Amino acid sequence: MYQSQVMNPRLLLRVPGELYKKGIAFWKSLSIFGKFGLTVILAMIILAVGAPFFTWLPHNVSSGPALVPPGGDHLMGTDEMGVDLWSQICYGARVSLLVGLGTALLAGLGGGIIGIWAGYRGGWIERVIMRLIDIMIVLPDLPIMVILAAFFGSSLRNIIIVLALFSWSHPARIIRAQVLSLKEQGYIKMAKSYGAGDLYIIFKHFLPELFPILAVSMIRLSGMAIVTEAALSFLGLGDPTSKSWGLIINHALNFSGIYFTPFWKWWLMYPWAFLTLLITSLALFGRDLERIADPRVVKRN
Amino acid sequence: MVLEVRNLSVTYQAEGAPVRALQEISFSLKEGDTLGIIGESGSGKTTLGLALMGLIGGKDRVEGNAYFRGTEFLSFSDKGKKALRWKHIAMVFQNSLEVLNPVLNIGEQVGEPLKKHLYLKGKELEARVEELFQLVGLDPQWKEAFPHQLSGGMRQRVLIAMALSCKPELLLVDEPTTSLDPVSRKEMIELLGRLQQEYGFTLVVISHDLSCISRLTSRLLALYGGRVVEEGLTEELLEDPFHPYSRGLINSSPHYFAYKDLWGIPGEPPTGQEAGCSFHSRCSQALESCREGVPALQQVCCERRVACHRGGIVTILEASGLKKEYRLKKRVLQAVNGVDLYIKEGEVAALVGETGSGKSTVAQMLGRLMKPTAGDITFRGEKFYNGVTRQENGIQIVMQDPFSSTSHRLTVEQVLREPLDINKIGTSQERSSRVREALEQVQLPWGTDFLKRFCFELSGGQRQRVAIARALVMKPALLLADEITSMLDPSTQANLLRLLKGLQNSKGFAMLFITHDLELARKVADRVMVMKQGEIVETGSSRRLFTDPCCCHTKELIDAAFGEHQHVHKSHHHPHTHEHVHKHKTQH
Repeated sequence: MYQSQVMNPRLLLRVPGELYKKGIAFWKSLSIFGKFGLTVILAMIILAVGAPFFTWLPHNVSSGPALVPPGGDHLMGTDEMGVDLWSQICYGARVSLLVGLGTALLAGLGGGIIGIWAGYRGGWIERVIMRLIDIMIVLPDLPIMVILAAFFGSSLRNIIIVLALFSWSHPARIIRAQVLSLKEQGYIKMAKSYGAGDLYIIFKHFLPELFPILAVSMIRLSGMAIVTEAALSFLGLGDPTSKSWGLIINHALNFSGIYFTPFWKWWLMYPWAFLTLLITSLALFGRDLERIADPRVVKRN
Repeated sequence: MVLEVRNLSVTYQAEGAPVRALQEISFSLKEGDTLGIIGESGSGKTTLGLALMGLIGGKDRVEGNAYFRGTEFLSFSDKGKKALRWKHIAMVFQNSLEVLNPVLNIGEQVGEPLKKHLYLKGKELEARVEELFQLVGLDPQWKEAFPHQLSGGMRQRVLIAMALSCKPELLLVDEPTTSLDPVSRKEMIELLGRLQQEYGFTLVVISHDLSCISRLTSRLLALYGGRVVEEGLTEELLEDPFHPYSRGLINSSPHYFAYKDLWGIPGEPPTGQEAGCSFHSRCSQALESCREGVPALQQVCCERRVACHRGGIVTILEASGLKKEYRLKKRVLQAVNGVDLYIKEGEVAALVGETGSGKSTVAQMLGRLMKPTAGDITFRGEKFYNGVTRQENGIQIVMQDPFSSTSHRLTVEQVLREPLDINKIGTSQERSSRVREALEQVQLPWGTDFLKRFCFELSGGQRQRVAIARALVMKPALLLADEITSMLDPSTQANLLRLLKGLQNSKGFAMLFITHDLELARKVADRVMVMKQGEIVETGSSRRLFTDPCCCHTKELIDAAFGEHQHVHKSHHHPHTHEHVHKHKTQH
């Protein structure tokens, strides 16, 4: 079937059209909050990717007098070194999104695979994995992350790995539970009785069924990762070379007596606002996605 | 021996090609024997009667031998045959206006053989005719009536009176109950039974009516295309036919077991031109090799002979000592505790029992969805292997819940193609055409829109049909239907069941129909197995089991389902031919 579809050129032309239609249908199925969330997330991604186009000032060296309030050349003012804050936020979005996305992908896919494996295979493998997940859940992540970050050195890559190490258990648990119930479905049993292999069942039946759930979980993870990275940076454990939003806040708070000055109004408020906006948007979009994770809902609309 | 027939063949010289109406029939009858002859129209039943009466002659050829009390009489001259006719061998012709002379009153007609053969006259004749009238339960005042003034039942009585007039030793009765209303039918059967017991003549009943046959005869011949395809004791043969044709006749008989749905034998009667076994084109278990050579009538067990290349209906699946245990924390739960069962080719076997009796577990083990803890299963004589559910002519299962057995996320086409795709059966086009064919069979639309519909858009009934179509795509030899209608409304259930039974009848696959609903089982099943607490407690033909259950649990079930127990007491008790398994459960 697939072969004949690929060979048919008309069908190839139809694919972008169908994607477009599906995109429209998806957009329509979102609630107003979901639409807001998705718009903000897309805007943030555009901002991060096209950072050089949105700001003409450097984000790491001084480009004017220190601690200038917003207005004029400096859209959001400058910090104590005279570095433009808007530039910092634009480039900082890259770091935050990279951490969020990287962690979500790593933990989501890793956790997903572990979950499928545990649920599908069962037996002692499942028991070992489940105990491991239990341990991961009871471990207090932040203190350990602080130690690990301090121990391994705080490069961006290490932070992503550490974050992923502490967040795979959540998707793995959800996916395993789902696989367990899917495994008992008649159509899976039928496929097995027809001689379907493990890979066939996983790719043809499990993944399409699990993907929406995994996507929801990954969006939640990315929100969590961004906050945690900000927290680590705020504690001074972030990658000092990467100007993430958390690091901006860390710098601002390290400025002794910031609350006695008006500087916090821009130096602290803007990165905080962006961080909050992104996290809120991710949460809203994630919540909406969860609602429509069941494909039946999309189709009906 | 009253009658012995050896290799009797009759060929009618029709315009063009000769028609072989009877081919090499052999049987013998002792004093007082009763023999039933069943078969479709055109199978040669009446020809057999006519040939024995010596009424076939002229251009039509009669070959073979027939001995009456040791003397060959087919070679007799017309005169010799006439001497034998009526006096020794008499026939009750099939009831119609034409058999009686319309211008003679019936008294004269009944007296005619008496005059001719016994040379009775005057008062003596009168007395004998009146006696005969009374014998068959007809008021002698009807003597003066003409045939057209009589009812069908009365005419039948006149015909019997005529046949009995000279006290024959062998009576042939052709279709004694056709075109009679139920009351006359019952009276006629009782009359014939009473007369046979009183006079002790040897009786041959030719009939479509199996209940009449089963009441009147002790042995039975099934004729097909002029040949005997099965021979046996009437009770045993009707309870457990060995030839697919006999089974078809029983399934299409409305009188034999009234509750069962009627399904005729698919296909057309034979033309006589078939090579090999003449039934092979309509047979559910025909092989290529059935086209070669005419099967001989062979002994399969005592008192039973079958003409089939495969030795009668083949057992397709056999399970013995089937067990399934679930280990709970402290105790072992016996879901299925030593089940022995078999399913024959082309039959509908029902597995009934209460919820939790282990029916579905048995089905899942037979469908290879679950591994038995212990026990052997053989399919077509081979030990169970993985391939049985992955090949054509294998086993397919349809589950109870269509919403779970078909993925809501896949389209109808994807669901139906899955077994073919996984097992790489056929080319892409062949797969598509088989998908369409299967959809057509289950009476679903098979256009592209429907093929592209997602399963979640379908109703429960439609989805169950899709699930059945998926099983049919694999052309199963055995279909396991596990409570397939329990989630459907009555109307959908009726449609689906009739559809499935129709498919079963035309395709000829075997079916294990699992249900807790005894009404449904009674409608569709040829054979019923009753399960209780993981064991089969009783098995038998559905007629026997529903009318005359012998296990208390079956009685309980039937009482619960049908209100009161419909136990049919028969005047002549027959030995139960069913197995009655009663194991003592070991407590765990």
